[in-house]
Amino acid sequence: MKNNIEAPTLEMHIKEDLGLTVNSIEIKNVTVSFKTPKGKFDAVKDISLNVRKGEIVSVIGHSGCGKSTLMNTISGMVKPSQGEVLANGKRVTGPGPDRGLVFQNYSLLPWLTVYQNIYEAVDSVLKDLNKSEKKTLVKDTLKMVNLYEHKDKLPGQLSGGMKQRVAIARAFAINPSILLLDEPFGALDALTKSSMHIELLKLWNLDNRDKTIVMVTHDIEEAIFLSDRIVVMNNGPAATVKAIVDVPLIRPRHKKEIVHDPEYMKIHDQLLAMLMDKLSIADIKSNI
Amino acid sequence: MKNIQSNILAIVYFLCGIGALLLFWEMSSRFTDGELPGPVPTWEVFSELLKDPFYDFGPNDKGVGLLLWGSLVRVTYGFLLGTLVAVPFGILLGSSKIAMNILNPVVQILKPVSPLAWFPIGLAIFQSAPSATVFIIFITSLWPTLINTAFGVSTVPQDHKNVAKAFGFSKFKYVVKILFPYSLPHIFTGLRLSIGVAWLVIVAGEMLSGGMGIGFFIWDSWNAGSMEKIIGGILIIGIVGLLLDKGFSVLQKSFSYEK
Ligand SMILES: Nc1ncnc2c1ncn2[C@@H]1O[C@H](COP(=O)(O)OP(=O)(O)O)[C@@H](O)[C@H]1O
Ligand SMILES: [Mg+2]
Repeated sequence: MKNNIEAPTLEMHIKEDLGLTVNSIEIKNVTVSFKTPKGKFDAVKDISLNVRKGEIVSVIGHSGCGKSTLMNTISGMVKPSQGEVLANGKRVTGPGPDRGLVFQNYSLLPWLTVYQNIYEAVDSVLKDLNKSEKKTLVKDTLKMVNLYEHKDKLPGQLSGGMKQRVAIARAFAINPSILLLDEPFGALDALTKSSMHIELLKLWNLDNRDKTIVMVTHDIEEAIFLSDRIVVMNNGPAATVKAIVDVPLIRPRHKKEIVHDPEYMKIHDQLLAMLMDKLSIADIKSNI
Repeated sequence: MKNIQSNILAIVYFLCGIGALLLFWEMSSRFTDGELPGPVPTWEVFSELLKDPFYDFGPNDKGVGLLLWGSLVRVTYGFLLGTLVAVPFGILLGSSKIAMNILNPVVQILKPVSPLAWFPIGLAIFQSAPSATVFIIFITSLWPTLINTAFGVSTVPQDHKNVAKAFGFSKFKYVVKILFPYSLPHIFTGLRLSIGVAWLVIVAGEMLSGGMGIGFFIWDSWNAGSMEKIIGGILIIGIVGLLLDKGFSVLQKSFSYEK
């Protein structure tokens, strides 16, 4: 691991003092191409996007359009073929402890218990803590996601939602300043999903809303409820940003109430129109 | 309740199978006019052997238990040596493309050779039949373990590697927490196959080397003209082979994880 946790640079401090916005993520003209048997394949093309410190941004788009790929360039799991990504002002060259990652498919190690899955990540990232500090941290994080009673179970014994919570706890435990969540609530039922939304916002609030969160989702309601901005992507290949939608709803937002907010409905319709434009009846007919 | 029921059922099926075998055996015996001894006379000779299985009246007259024990000891030595070589090489092959490219052709050429063909080489090297027998078991045990270990190591899923990358696992942590746990079930599959083939080969090896082991027992019984003893020996070999396989299957299960 090359990147270290570093205090925000001097430049960031000065900007903050001057009341200027500080970008925690800067994506600059990023193109990602994969080598495939059929030749070069551009997954995303020339994407630029800034995410401010403390902002919650959702990325939404049809499956296969390159959302995970874009997330992976921020996390450092995938190298852009062109362009660059800055995280906290530093060029991303690989994964780093300043960015916590929740994979789309949980990626838990099946032979480790819930506790061990989190512990190994903590042990590996937070080298400065001693053993008992690490243990306490893991336990606290498990309690936070209501998994403490299940700490000795193996991932194979958990439901999809529980696995997702373990993956989230693992990312949270290392207390990164940037959280990257790839469809983190996709496998959850509506009730669990709602309570996880609240948990996520609670954590974000606890931290003075300092954490930057980028989240991939399919769920329009979820995106509006959680985000400050929503990035809508075009369909791939060579996907780009189609639009960025602001969500100026005042926080704290209440699930039951915001759905009646005219602003909410406007954004909802706008997003729906953008994602569904291919599915008009005329299109379906012409396909038959 | 379900479990007990299915266990009882399994026992019933087992007894049916044994019953069918005994019936077939008895019929074959009658068909050949007793040239092939039936279950009853075999049992008479065989139970006599089992009364004192560990007697030792010199090099060419030992109890069947003692001979069996000798075979097991040789298989164990050969198998352990083979494992000690095959697992590290398997890891090397599985984790390095270059090593794979260099060693794979060698493995491919040597693997199909009957282990018995190595017997003269073993004799030449060690100048002793028992050591040469251990040597062929060593060779036998190499291939399945090597190949399965290499397969396990080379197929660690990208998901697991991503965890290591994302959280910056050290090389050591990667090996201990990801590579080994993932490969272990594959390694044990290799070991189980190896012990199976080793037990097949030991009998043939001892028939070749003479003077020792359960293989010699069979050959000696043939020279003594006792079909009853030969069939008894076959049953012993079968049962021991089954127990070895069951033992390794238990090991294999205990080192597997739930998916
Ligand atoms: N490692 C890879 N090699 C080749 N193609 C890939 C790879 N990863 C993703 N892709 C392709 O890139 C496109 C975008 O994938 P992805 O980012 O996973 O989409 P999303 O997360 O939006 O569903 C898809 O067409 C996918 O097949
Ligand atoms: Mg995806």
